[in-house]
This record gives sequence, C-alpha cells and structure tokens, in this order.
Amino acid sequence: MRAAESGDAAAWQEIVESFSGLVWSVIRAYRLGSADAADVFQTVWLRLAEHLGRIREPDQVGAWLATTARREALRVARGQSRLVPTDRIDLFDVGRPGENPPEQAVLDAEQAALNSDRAARLWKAFAGLPERCQKLLRVLTATPPPSYAEIAAALDMRIGSIGPTRARCLDQLKRRLAGHVSQTR
Amino acid sequence: MAGTRRESTLADQPEAALEEELRQLIAREDAVPAPLLRAAIDAYGWRTADAELAGLVFDSLMAAGAAVRGSQPDRLLSFEAGGLTIDVEISGTGPARALIGQIVPPRQAAVEVRQRDGVTTLETDQLGRFRSESLGPGPFSLRCRADGREVTTEWVAI
Repeated sequence: MRAAESGDAAAWQEIVESFSGLVWSVIRAYRLGSADAADVFQTVWLRLAEHLGRIREPDQVGAWLATTARREALRVARGQSRLVPTDRIDLFDVGRPGENPPEQAVLDAEQAALNSDRAARLWKAFAGLPERCQKLLRVLTATPPPSYAEIAAALDMRIGSIGPTRARCLDQLKRRLAGHVSQTR
Repeated sequence: MAGTRRESTLADQPEAALEEELRQLIAREDAVPAPLLRAAIDAYGWRTADAELAGLVFDSLMAAGAAVRGSQPDRLLSFEAGGLTIDVEISGTGPARALIGQIVPPRQAAVEVRQRDGVTTLETDQLGRFRSESLGPGPFSLRCRADGREVTTEWVAI
C-alpha cells in the first residue's frame, strides 16, 4: 500500500492481483449483468487509486475494496441502466477466447470433459441454493480465499455469523449434490 | 481468522473439501475477465495524487423514494471538498448522455471530464456552469482547476 501510494506501479499491480478475485466475487454475488459488472469492477479500482494514502489502515484494504464493491454493485443494480436482471450467476457462459494458449486450451478441454458431469452437478446444486447461501459461498470461494473480515465487509454480515452460515450452506450444498433436495431455508 | 472458525476442525473436513471443489470450479469458469484485470492495473494511471478529493455526498439514485424501475429520471450527483460543491445532472441513456454541472460557490474553472475512453476538457462560464453532450456509460470523474485549487471527484459509474 505504502509503495503504491508513493508511485510504485509494481506494488499497485500486486494489490490488484491479490484482491481482484475478491472484488469480482462480490460483484458476481450481487448478480450484475456483464456490462454493469465491468463498470463496477473498474469503478472500484479507480476509487482505490484515488484513495491510496487516504485509507487509514493499509491492512484493511481488502475490507475497503469489498465494502466499495458491495456499495457500488447495489448502486448500479438500482440504476439497472442496461436492465439485465439475472437470477443466476452465468457460470457456464461461452468461453473467453484468447485467454489461454492453444495447448492449454486442449488440456483444459480434456480436463473439462472429465470433470463436466461432476462440475455440472455441483453447479446445479449451487444454483439451487437459497440466495443467501449462493452469495456467501460465491465470496467465500474467491481466489485467493478472503478473510472473514473481508467476507463480512462484502456481504454486510457480522463476522460471527459467517462460520455457522457457511456450515449450513455447505451442508445444504452437499445434500443437494447427493440428490436430497431440502425445501428448508 | 482462526478464532472465528468453528472449533471442530475434523468435522469440517468434508465441508472444506466441498468448499475447495467449488472454489476450483468457480476459478475455472468465472475468473476475472482478462480485459478487466488489465483495466484495474491501468486504473493506477488515473491517480491524481496532488488533487483534493471531492467525495460523493448525494446521489438521486440512492435517495429515499427514488424510483427503482420504469422511466429513467435525470441523475443528480453532488460532490464536496473543503467548502466547494460540484453539482451534476445527467440525462439520457445510451452512448451519449448530457451532463450539466455547476460549481458552488460559483467561479470560473477548467473542468476535465474523465472517462475510460479519454478526457474531455471544458470551461465553465462566469457562473461556474458547464455542460457536455457526450458522456458515455461507465465510470466518470471530474477534475476541476480554479483559483489555484485542484479538485477531483470520486469515480461513479453511470
């Protein structure tokens, strides 16, 4: 943080790489369409660039980013400028070409075929969870894994309720995966 | 974070494995799109380290009673920094929206409208009013220079 504040672009890049997964997970948890999600993602990072040096505790930058992502996602959702309400997170949308070298794509495709049945079932089970569970699990499973303080900031939850909610949601996910669909929330 | 986790680590094992499986699935299928990652890295270039930051103090979209759906009313935003207020009204939708602004207390100023595609430079009139007809969707910020002061507004997505 301090290095980025004083003009070190490499330090900035490190911050982006450490927290972009968290920021993206928060935006996806609030179910924005892709154009709105892109706008919020950019806004969050532009805001941080202006706030460098104004954040009182540099080790809180993850929580600051999570809070900003939540607020801006809700703001844009209110505007619904492009009106793309999604009732699910588009996990299996068509690939983003050009991101992987061809040989990697072939390996990925083979692995994907092996995994697709299990992956599809896991996704279906996840998509069937109550919204509260989907939100928590989407942020909880960001890469790298966020801290509980960051998750609390992302979802405006008490830290103390994350552990029990996580356990309940993962248990529901496990049951759905096993074919026991429970209607209890 | 250890203190916030539940006490029984052993009982957590199957859950932890499922959580990890979901993490890998999402990392594979819903990673941050590469162009957005590049945009985040480039955001550093928009930093104005020496300017005062004008925080967003009013947004009609978030005001109580604001219409959530239906016809889009004009968007009103106010930014404030050390006794200086910048009021902005944005109308229209689509690729070219109209922006009308006012600096309070009124003063003549140079205003930069900053968007991801570039910067438009405007001059206010004697009363601190300015306008642009070509505001695109996405994040924007204003940078105002007047009387030796330089003020940058917080980025907001429109």
